[in-house]
This record gives sequence, C-alpha cells and structure tokens, in this order.
Amino acid sequence: MAQDTIKVGVLHSLSGTMAISETSLRDMLLFAFDQINAAGGINVGGKSYQIQPVVVDGASNWPLFAEKAKELLEEDKVAVVFGCWTSVSRKSVLPVFEKDNGLLFYPVQFEGEEQSENVVYTAEAVNQQATPAVDYLLDQGVKKFYLLGTDYVYPRTTNLILYKYLLLHGVPPEDIGGGFTKDDSGNVISAGKYVPFGYTDFQQIVADIKQFAASGDACVVNTINGDSNVPFFKEIVAAGLTPDQCPIVSFSLAEDELRSIPTRNLVGELGCWSYFMSLKTPENKDFLSKWNAWLQTENYPGVVKEHRVVDSPMELSYDGVYLWKEAVEKAGTFDVDAVRKVLDSGDISFQGPGGKITVQPDQYTTKNVYIGTTLANGQFEIVKQFPQVVGQPWMLKSLDAQLAAQGK
Amino acid sequence: MKVASKLLAGWFLALLCMRTAAAHAPDTTGTNVVRQELVQAILSTGTEQQKLLNELADSGSKLASDVLGAWTMEEVYQYVAPDGSTVPVMLESQQDAQGRSRAVRIDDGQFLKDASGKELRFGESDLNAANTNLRLRRAIQHVLDMLALTDPDPDARAEAVNKLGNSQNESYVPLLQSRLAKEKNAYVRKAINEAIAMLQLGDTNPAVQIAAVEQLAALNSIGSLDNLNQLAANTNNGPQLSKAIQHAIDSISNHIWWVNFYGTIFHGISLGAVLLLVALGLAITFGLMGIINMAHGEMIAVGAYTTYVIQNLFGSGFGFNITLPFSFLGKPIAFGLNLPGLNATGWFYQSYFLFAIPLSFLMAALAGLVLERAVIQFLYRRPLESLLATWGVSLALQQIFRMVFGANNVQVNSPNWLLGHFTLNDVSFDYNRIFVIGFAILIVIGTWLLLSKTPLGLLIRAVSQNRPMASCMGVRTGRVNMLTFAFGSGLAGLAGAFLSQIGNVGPSLGQTYIVDSFMTVVVGGVGNIIGTVYSALGIGTADQVLQQLTGSPVTGKIVVLICIILFLQWKPGGLFAVRSRSLD
Repeated sequence: MAQDTIKVGVLHSLSGTMAISETSLRDMLLFAFDQINAAGGINVGGKSYQIQPVVVDGASNWPLFAEKAKELLEEDKVAVVFGCWTSVSRKSVLPVFEKDNGLLFYPVQFEGEEQSENVVYTAEAVNQQATPAVDYLLDQGVKKFYLLGTDYVYPRTTNLILYKYLLLHGVPPEDIGGGFTKDDSGNVISAGKYVPFGYTDFQQIVADIKQFAASGDACVVNTINGDSNVPFFKEIVAAGLTPDQCPIVSFSLAEDELRSIPTRNLVGELGCWSYFMSLKTPENKDFLSKWNAWLQTENYPGVVKEHRVVDSPMELSYDGVYLWKEAVEKAGTFDVDAVRKVLDSGDISFQGPGGKITVQPDQYTTKNVYIGTTLANGQFEIVKQFPQVVGQPWMLKSLDAQLAAQGK
Repeated sequence: MKVASKLLAGWFLALLCMRTAAAHAPDTTGTNVVRQELVQAILSTGTEQQKLLNELADSGSKLASDVLGAWTMEEVYQYVAPDGSTVPVMLESQQDAQGRSRAVRIDDGQFLKDASGKELRFGESDLNAANTNLRLRRAIQHVLDMLALTDPDPDARAEAVNKLGNSQNESYVPLLQSRLAKEKNAYVRKAINEAIAMLQLGDTNPAVQIAAVEQLAALNSIGSLDNLNQLAANTNNGPQLSKAIQHAIDSISNHIWWVNFYGTIFHGISLGAVLLLVALGLAITFGLMGIINMAHGEMIAVGAYTTYVIQNLFGSGFGFNITLPFSFLGKPIAFGLNLPGLNATGWFYQSYFLFAIPLSFLMAALAGLVLERAVIQFLYRRPLESLLATWGVSLALQQIFRMVFGANNVQVNSPNWLLGHFTLNDVSFDYNRIFVIGFAILIVIGTWLLLSKTPLGLLIRAVSQNRPMASCMGVRTGRVNMLTFAFGSGLAGLAGAFLSQIGNVGPSLGQTYIVDSFMTVVVGGVGNIIGTVYSALGIGTADQVLQQLTGSPVTGKIVVLICIILFLQWKPGGLFAVRSRSLD
C-alpha cells in the first residue's frame, strides 16, 4: 500500500553554543515521528499520511533561524514546525511565521508576554514555573527572596514579574534581595542581581546572599542560565550555605543540564518543571521504556545513545507533536487556518508522560506543574504537584492591575 | 556526588552494623526504642510525625541523628513488603555488578530479606525515597540541631545554637542558658549569648528587651538586624528602648560596612591571585619570548582536563573511544584508551588533587614542548604569523578536547579539604580562596627563583633580551626557547588544575581566560614578570571594589575595562615598561 507523506519541519540548533541542549529536542522529535509512523501515521480525511521530517540547523545563529524558517515554510512547504529554544530565536522567526501563516510549536520555559496566533506555546509560562515555586516557598515559611539571574530578557522579565507577585503576596521590598533599578519617576523597572553569560567569580554575590540569609528565613530564586551555575554552586557550597538555611530554586537546570554539573553541590536544592523524569506514573514508565528501546534501534546520524535523560523541554516537544496530530485529525486537513481553529477550541488535549496537557484558546497550554528536590544522581524527588495550571500570557499587566487595585 | 554519597552511606552502614552487633547486648533497649521511634516518624505524617520528631530530639541518640541526616539527603527508602507493610531501609554502600546493593532495615539494623531468608538487593531507582518537603526538612533539621547541641564539634554546636536563636521561640532560653553554663568554647559561647538575646527581643518586659538589644549591639549580630528593624517599626516602644534599638542598628550597620570592606579586599586579592595564575604562564611565553600565544588558554584547559583524568583514575577509571569522521583505504580509523581506576576512598581519594597538581604541570609542559617544536620554533621572527598559527592550534586543541572528553562540561569534584570556610569577625574566608592565594605566592616565588637564581634562568634572560647575541656567545637558543615555552605552558597547566576547583571544565575553558590573561600581562608591562603580579592584584581588587560600589558585576567589569583603556592611553607600555635600545 503506497502511503502519502506529509512534511514536518524541525528547527533547532544542531551546532554552536545551544547545540548541547537543542540536539536532545531534535532526537525526541524524531522519536515521536517514528512512533506515530509505526502506529500507522496520521489519518486525515480517510487517508493515512507518514510523517517526513525536514531537519534544519539554526546553528545558534538567530538571523539564520529566520532564514531557515523561511526555507521550511516557502520551499519545503511543511505543515508545521517544531523548534526554537532561546526566546531570541523565537522572536527572530516570528515575523516569518506570521507572514507565511505557518504554525510553530515552542517547547522551552520562557518569560511569556507574547501571544501570536502562529505559535502554540507548549512551554511553561511564568505562572507555570516561577510563581508556583514561589507559592511553594511561601507555604514552607520562607520570608525573604533573593533574585539572581543571567543578564538577558528571560531572567529580567521573570524577576520583574516575581517582584510584583511577591509584593502582591505581602512580601515587603526590603525582603526582596539583589537590588532594584528604578526609572525617573521611581517605578521599579528591574529587580534582582544580574551576571553576564559565562560569569565565574561569585565570591561577592555569595557573600551578599549570606548576609541576606543571616536571619534564616531566606531563599534564592536562581535564573542563571548555562554553565555559570557551576561556579555559583561551588561558591555556595564553599561558603557553607545549605538548603536548610537558604534553599535555592533554579529555573534553568533540568535533568539534561545536571549531567554536566557536580550534583553533589545541589542535593536538596529545588527545581520546578511540568515534567520530571522521575515521575512514577504508568504513562511515564511506558514512555521512558519506549524511548530507550528506540535509542537502541534508531540509526539517525548524530544521535547519542549513551547516558541519555529526558527533561521537561524534551517532554513538551513530544507532547507538541501529539497535540498537533490530534488537531490535524480532528480538522481533517493540514491547512493551518483550519488546524488553528480546532486548536483554539480548547478541546485538544493529550495524556502525555507528565500528565494531561490541553491547548487553551490563547494557544498557551494547561498542564501539571511539579516541584522537585535535586538528588545526588541528577534526578529530582517530587515534593509537590500543582495539577492543571492554566498558562497566563500577560502576567505583568494582570499583576499591575491587581497591585493598583490594592493601592500599592 | 555519587562517590561522596556512597562514602556517607557506607559510614552509616558501618554504624548501623555496630549497632546491630550491640543489639544483642542487654543494655540497648534505649537504642531499640529510638529505632522504633525513627520508623514511626518516617511512616507517619502531620502532627503525629512532629510529636515523634520532638521525642527523638530529646533522645540525644547518635543513631537518630545519622538516620535523620540520611533522610534529608533522600537516602532513606521505603520498601513495600509483599504483605503490604512498609519497611524503611537504607542502602548499603557496596554495590554489585548491576549497581544494586543490600538494604538495611532501620527497625532492627538487619539486612532486608524475603520470605525464604534471601537478602534482597536494590538499585537507587527501584525504591521510593521516604517523603520530604521543605517544612519536614526543616523539622528534621530542627531535631538534628537539638541533637547537635551536644555535638563534639564546636562548629556544629554553634550552628545549632544560631538556628534556635532564629526560631523566635522564647521557650528555648532556659535550654540555651543551661548550655551556656556548660559551654567552654568562646565561639560557641558568643553564639549562645547572641541566640538568647535574639529570643529575648520578643519578651514582654521592656527591661529584658533593652538588655537584649544592648547585648546584640555589643555582639555586632548581623543576623539580628532584621529583627531589630522589625522591632524599631513597632510604635509602642518606650523612648529608652527606641534609643537602644537605634543605637544597636547603627552599630551593626557600621559593623557590616567593615565586614564588607575586609571581605572585598579579600575577594579582590583572591581574584587577583586567580588572574595572576592564569596570566603568569603568558607573561613568560608572550612577555619574555614575544610569541602572541593564542593557545595559552588551551594549555590551561590541558591542566584542567589532566586534573579531571587523575580524579577519575582515583575513582572508577577513565576511557574514551574516537572514530574519525573519515576513513583511510576504506577502513574507518578508530582508537581508544581504557585505564582502570584505583577505586580509592576516604582520604586517599581526597588527596587526588595533590597528585593532579604536578601532573597538570607536566602534561601542559609536554604539550607546550610539542607545540614549540612543531610550530613555534619556525616563527620567532614573525610575531603576526605566530598569532595565526597558535590560534589555529587552539582551535585544533579544542576539537581534540571535544572528541576525547565530549562537548559537555565534565564534572570535577573538589576534595573536601578545599570546601568550607572559616569566619573571623563575620568575614568569611573560603578554604579554596586561601589555597589559591598561597598557591599563587608559591608559584611566583618559584618562577622568580628559577629566572634569577639558576643557570637556566640566566640563559632564559639572555635569550629573551637579545637572541642573536646570546647565540653568538654559544647559548643553544633553540633548546632554551623550547624549555622556556614548556615552562610557561606548565604554569598555565597549574592554573588549569586550580580553575577546575572553582569553575567549569569544558572544551572552551581556555577561551574564557585568554582575554583576561592578555589584559593582565599588557597592563603589567610586556616582558616584566613583577609587573604582571602588580597588575593582577590591581585589576582583581579594582574589579571587586567597583562591584561592591556599583552593586552590579556587569557595571563593575565595564568600569574596570574603561579604566584599563584609559590607563594604556596614558602608559602604553604598561605599569613597568621595559626600556631597551633594541629597535623593535
């Protein structure tokens, strides 16, 4: 039986600085496609289509991402694209998707404050990662919050949102550490302490945190991205700050990143994601065993087979493929407008390894959020679950309105 | 990581076994009671759990503190027996070939067996860890603190006292006062006094409050500043109390200023020592020999990777396999290496770094020697070509690191004796920072001795000042150049060994430090070792002071770089310009 094929784009950095993280997403997408094809492909209008992936390399080069997106949409005429990791790469391809009316599934935790009808945000929005973590810490009796991050858009936006969120929950500004930047009229426009990418000298910041945490009820909210986390945690350990005195919750450290960090320094610190590899649900066990089996048998070039882990961005990439399949089969066509209409109905959901995930009418997604403590083996022990959190695109605006209502 | 946790688990096991042996003696009913309480505490929840934990706090049992400590490390597991009952266990440190180990029951200290009496074995992922959350961790930690009040280690006692002081629960005051009567260590006594005063801040009697505030001011207690500020905001304070609080706040703020001042100077010197370490090798290869050595950073990385390999050789071994992406005569080219590890534990494993230091020097020196013979010896009169050639070498070396060690960063664990710190009047000194300062001093002295007191040093100076003339005098300049370059590279390797303890070890490690190295050497004055010392300390201190003043590491760094640009406009030759009659 000759089967029809449908082209699907994969747009990730397979070379350059982001390749370490993004290659894992490419592998996960190929796994999902193979799984669907083996199960008979996608059924549209009574016909079954095999997925044919078109993998292109964004090369960690943001303008190149836009060119590659254009190539995928205009030359290969792909039905959908799964891709991007950094917010800047997403911002770079956005005009292309809007002009050519493409569809992008974006899987990596981000700062929100964006809503395009050409993007489905399977990623964690700020209220699906940062604010649940803060809720948990407040609930556990933490009173002071030190905000620390790498100097770019995601940490700055997240920390500003957290600053307002904390004010709203009765934490006074003097209990929010890291410093503030104010505009001429005295409004806080940035909160927290920032270091450049690749920064290594954390002596003074850790000394500062130590004084901040001297009263014993403080925590650190860590949005440091990349390998600066290693010198940071080494300094924390050398200074003798334990998770009992001052817990650290990190938003950019998932299982994949922990592979290259001495995890001994992180035992007991917190992470917050919508999926952990250590989830003990039957869906997750089944998913992991199939993934491992696929790794043993696949023969795509460049897929590493040893020491693989799965983390939240990978799981959300996988969920994205199935959400799209569901929407396409329901719409009965690959046409983007028709598929979008189905997606926006709020009826498209998938029982993924991390729990049920549903596309909202604003194309954010509702999903479970978990908080875990880091173990010495680089995995997380789940300590708290927030079931079915609705993603909020515009946190800043809504927090401003709530603060104004309280007269703050 | 793994090794440490295994060590710890092994230690617990030894302890448990000791208890097991003792369990047959008649006088250990106390231990059995503690065991039962522990099991119940692990299996219960809510207020009952809290009550059991409090009972354990009064037990004063070492066993309790060990098991509870393991619980917070997520190393207490729950085994669900076939009959549905849950048995809390800990895993033995010794693993079999499948990575599984025997489980020790907490209720009787025996190995867990199935119905037929066979010992059961588990991997870490086969069992669920006993639940913890932050609140429970804190409750457990509180019990551990109560148990730690009688710990033989004064630091543990002081930390436990601090936490009680922060609890805002005045009922601990009598307990602390009774400890104070028995305590002899001055540091712990200070901590107890501080904790008592902190707790008495919440007293209803203003006289007690005033005495407590004055006590805190006298002790310069940083941890109490929040509480004092809170108390100051209270509107129904008496005038005397308000005055005392204000005085205490001023005095403590002043103390914090001085702590920051001395802290910043220490951080500046330690950053200067790091800069000095990474730049000293370049001060020789670039400064003395005039080679624009872009591969200097990769020599640092060679040192860091050597430390990583030595660490693994002391642990479970090291191996790699490479298949080249092209084939020769139709056959793929592949090679690999597998070295068995010593599987060392304890102090012997912790000492790996002492072996890694000299070996890092040797490996980097060897790499430098090969580089000099293969490339640089042909480029002594052509500095610009040496820039391009060494840059190419640096790219090639990075690729080799990627092929051998992978594109990800590798994990280097600091030995325990480099972790930790001591505190002097609230200024905290990290051991690894003190180590780097001492290390830098030793290396500078060593380099100075080599250059000024040995025959080789004399030759090096002669060749670097005037190569043709030295050659005419019968100096074998080629050999001297080779040794000088190897020595400079070896120094870079030493820097790498240390950097592996405070930062990342990855293929691009060298790129992180190459700019800093050149900056330090140029500011110090090319060709002058002592200039490099001054410039490293100057840049390090300026960076930390500006970071403290501006409150932002980014702004601090920018200001330092602008200052360096202006400085080089004013003194292009650097701090200590070498004057010579040569026309180059």
